[in-house]
Amino acid sequence: MTAPEVTDPILVGPPSQGELQRRLLGTPARRGNRGWRIAFAISAALTGLLVTAITYTVATGIGVWGNNIPVGWAFGIINFVWWIGIGHAGTFISAILYLLEQRWRTSINRFAEAMTLFAVVQAGMFPILHLGRPWFGYWLFPYPSIMEVWPQVRSALPWDAAAIFTYLTVSVLFWYLGLVPDLASLRDHAPTRRRRIIYGIFALGWRGSSTAWRHYRAAYLLLAGLATPLVLSVHSLVSSDFAIALVPGWHSTIFPPFFVAGAIFSGFAMVVTLIIPARAVFGLRDVITARHLDNCAKLILVTGLLVAYGYAIEFFIAWYSGDVAEKYQFFVGRPFGPRAGVFWTMMVCNVVVPQLYWSRRVRRSVPILFVTSLLINVGMWCERFVIIVQSLQREFLPTGWGSYTPTWVDLSILAGTMGFFSLLFLIFLRVLPFVAVFEMKELRAELDHDAHRAHTDPEVRP
Amino acid sequence: MIRLFAEYADEAQLVAAAAQLHERGYRKVETYTPYPLPAVDDALGARPSRLPIAVFIAGLVMGGATYWFQWLITHVLYPLDVGNRPTNFPLSFVPITFEMTVLFAAFTAVGAVIVLGRLLRLWDPIFEVDGFESATATRFWLAVDGGDPVFDRDRTTDELTRSGAARVVVQEERA
Repeated sequence: MTAPEVTDPILVGPPSQGELQRRLLGTPARRGNRGWRIAFAISAALTGLLVTAITYTVATGIGVWGNNIPVGWAFGIINFVWWIGIGHAGTFISAILYLLEQRWRTSINRFAEAMTLFAVVQAGMFPILHLGRPWFGYWLFPYPSIMEVWPQVRSALPWDAAAIFTYLTVSVLFWYLGLVPDLASLRDHAPTRRRRIIYGIFALGWRGSSTAWRHYRAAYLLLAGLATPLVLSVHSLVSSDFAIALVPGWHSTIFPPFFVAGAIFSGFAMVVTLIIPARAVFGLRDVITARHLDNCAKLILVTGLLVAYGYAIEFFIAWYSGDVAEKYQFFVGRPFGPRAGVFWTMMVCNVVVPQLYWSRRVRRSVPILFVTSLLINVGMWCERFVIIVQSLQREFLPTGWGSYTPTWVDLSILAGTMGFFSLLFLIFLRVLPFVAVFEMKELRAELDHDAHRAHTDPEVRP
Repeated sequence: MIRLFAEYADEAQLVAAAAQLHERGYRKVETYTPYPLPAVDDALGARPSRLPIAVFIAGLVMGGATYWFQWLITHVLYPLDVGNRPTNFPLSFVPITFEMTVLFAAFTAVGAVIVLGRLLRLWDPIFEVDGFESATATRFWLAVDGGDPVFDRDRTTDELTRSGAARVVVQEERA
């Protein structure tokens, strides 16, 4: 068998510049097919459920949720952490892989960034709802009030709010800046006047002049550099919400890196889940190739191993600390206490399932990848459940022990955010080019240069 | 006001033409391409973008302001005793300082592209040039402004034609 990693192309064919332009830019103009419409109907219905559940929660009070002492944090925070984590792969692809000059990132970059935005939108709803009185959400911001009370910035919660707000805003800016040249192209090639005007407004009058490109490249590089520490900081700060508390199972210095690894792990799983149907429906298997899926699977494997290491260290430290509450939490409470099934699901999905990716055949099999990526997302949701609910179920004093059951409102909001997420995604697929067209043209030209150099200069190998 | 436009099918031709014009003393040359071509900047002798300076200053100023503001509200305006912990504890101001530095640096980067790249002009006379829409598709355009000291309508047209342009277009406007 020859070494396949070297020969696997990022672009199969490769399609010509004109073809890239026509096909990739053409995705928004295509009429949705049956599959898209069915998916849209389901997502819209779930979004309706979300609106209903939120209205009910706000109108009645968060007593309609299942969380109560001792489990004061439950679905609201589980879903928040889970959705934020999913977003991380998008920023990882758009920023870190850009700085590392990984060319394969080009075709999945915008797609993954859109995933980030829509995931953060879902995540952002939960802390606001969890306030109980969302109409006082603006109290999170420091503003001069007649009460002369200011937010307590020595607490991890305002750090978290600042991190999420910055993350969302910078992600939007980065994504939008990347879109501008493609919006200009859409404006110039729009079939109708209405589209020309709409795309024209969002294109900000982009003309592709060398002056504009020069500043554009500088800004894009800087945004990538600015977004890179965000990938690491956002989930680190989210984890501080837990790590700063004394609860057994939370009070741990491994949390920041452990959370970041888990976030990228679940994010790449979500990228795979979304990209497999999208590339099939829009016929883009030559642009988003087996190589992309293979690379994503490898990153899932690596980050999965980091997560597994995190679990191992948590258990080791619990034992090594000699602390009764810690030992009880990890060796009795989680594996055999209430909701132990969630713990075992987490272990199977996050530790066992990714090991399949050692096999090249599995990384190449689209159906297996699709199913395993879903399992990993289930596993990561379970991890957040384990950390939040199971820790709170078994704190220091046995008299304060309890258990947790979600209500229909909790489950509806979770299902609803999934629906709303896919709704936004489906609209995105139809309204904007989900592969960065100008970057693909640039990549195509670079590949030509490389081929030319390799041909004339025997020292250079592609 | 007069401008001459040349359309090229190939990026290498555009870069060569830009370098040639620059060598002959043309200074008001601009190119329009579907994707960034750093080689054009070298050919036209353009200075590197100074946008990073603006971003750096904005990040520094806003980061500093955020730190000061946190000190102000926790130490001066609303000093709350939490378990006898100090009200002025620099380490706890670090996360938000960092986040706001990144946030305002990012705003500045995007704002600077809009200002320095002369965007937000939703309509520009250049859009009226016949076939110019290919500049955002697969063709490469070059424009020479009539205000250029070396500009001569016939000679420049001739130079552009000989540089391998697929076609040369003249745009005249009343000032």
